[in-house]
Amino acid sequence: MSDQAMDDKTAAARPNINAMQARSGAALNEAKLAIKGLDFFYGTNKALKGIHLDIPARQVTGMIGPSGCGKSTLLRVLNRMYSLYPGQRAEGQVLLDGQNIIEDGVDLNALRSKIGMVFQKPTPFPMTIYENIAFGVRLHERLSKSQMDERVEWALTRAALWTEAKDRLNTSAMGLSGGQQQRLCIARTIAVRPEVILFDEPTSALDPISTLKIEELIDELKRDFTIAIVTHNMQQAARCADQVAFFYLGELIEVAPAAQLFTAPKHAKTQEYITGRFG
Amino acid sequence: MAEHTVRSYADELRRLRDMIARMGGLAERQVADAVASLIRRDTDLATEVVGRDTAIDALEREVENFCIRILALRQPVGQDLRLVIACLKISHGLERIGDYARNAAKRSIVLAQQPAIGSLNGFNRMAILVQENLKGAIDALVNDDANRADEVWAADEPVDQVYNGIFREMLTFMMEDPRNITAATHLLFVAKNLERIGDHATNIAETVHYAVSGENLPEDRPKGDGSAYAVVRPPV
Repeated sequence: MSDQAMDDKTAAARPNINAMQARSGAALNEAKLAIKGLDFFYGTNKALKGIHLDIPARQVTGMIGPSGCGKSTLLRVLNRMYSLYPGQRAEGQVLLDGQNIIEDGVDLNALRSKIGMVFQKPTPFPMTIYENIAFGVRLHERLSKSQMDERVEWALTRAALWTEAKDRLNTSAMGLSGGQQQRLCIARTIAVRPEVILFDEPTSALDPISTLKIEELIDELKRDFTIAIVTHNMQQAARCADQVAFFYLGELIEVAPAAQLFTAPKHAKTQEYITGRFG
Repeated sequence: MAEHTVRSYADELRRLRDMIARMGGLAERQVADAVASLIRRDTDLATEVVGRDTAIDALEREVENFCIRILALRQPVGQDLRLVIACLKISHGLERIGDYARNAAKRSIVLAQQPAIGSLNGFNRMAILVQENLKGAIDALVNDDANRADEVWAADEPVDQVYNGIFREMLTFMMEDPRNITAATHLLFVAKNLERIGDHATNIAETVHYAVSGENLPEDRPKGDGSAYAVVRPPV
């Protein structure tokens, strides 16, 4: 039995007890990603200052804060997206299962198959629904036609899109609605079976019902995946996240279980931000 | 703490505090007048107290509707959420206090027809103590003052002590002369009402402490009511 199947089985037998505890303010899981003393620079501009943050396994970490606070920057550090741009650099440690992923010599392709990312605007490729998912998988794995069919169905099912898409797999993904496109992007991300999924404001371009579907999906996905989500919508962080981190001017001001952060934050800046008294 | 970015929201929270302050003021006055009517055997004042209770009840409903509205439309979090929830609970406590005061006033109407027994100093003392606590608890909410709330929370013991004194005194009167039983029983209930009012004041203080600080006070608070274990021995 593969690890994946084993995980599925145990997760089904024990319906998300850890997550429920975390939501009620209790235990967080061990860290999947451990960020230690992270500094980040855009040229000479220091965008992240000495960040220490554990992202617990198979739980949702929400990141909130005003524009320019560094939350999206942090997300971009976590899958080394910044490495595409000269002049951007990170110092410190980001440990994925103990391995520092921001040091030189890390295989970025392998890393990005472990840490997937979903963006603000749905970005389907201009190809069929099937190909949208198969495309990424082919970069990492060689699968037979029937294996690939299975993988596509699995990914679409996990992304709660299978019933809507199964009869139109060979039509263009551009014909899907915005919410469906975003779920397709999530399916595309999980199709390569990552360990961590990063969401960068995944619902800011969606209507409320599609938003709730994505949130339900996130809740579902955290049984198997470690999730970090950046959102401008605080209610969304409150609804989805087990742990919430508040950033301000490149610093991590406070991190706490969601129920605590939204009822009794410790730090005055957090209090001011979440209650809308900022600036 | 800075003002809200949305001014109408800040106005609503301010209005909510004002409503509780008004309700608290009304409840204090009800307690004061109920005991005054008892001590002065003033049935007109007692009747007034009974009639005024509907105003507190109406305010409770008003607070409740307003809180539900804020919860639905503003989705408060952090200290704002704690304030709204606290006001919801406090308005309920104040409504109960109003009921106890009304009940005391009703009994003082009956008592005015009965022969006087003993001194009513204990009642006066209790009334002053619980009013102070009630006022302190409401002030603590209005001024975001957790320390004041803590003082009130820890100050219920003297109330219980006076209550215990009255309890024993009334038992003695009843044993001395069965004709005292009607008056002494009503007085006992009045004392119990005041003692309950004191308990509600400490509950309010506890709620205020949470609203202001975000932390809960410990389970056990200092208590001095031993009357639950008192035993009457008939004269031999």
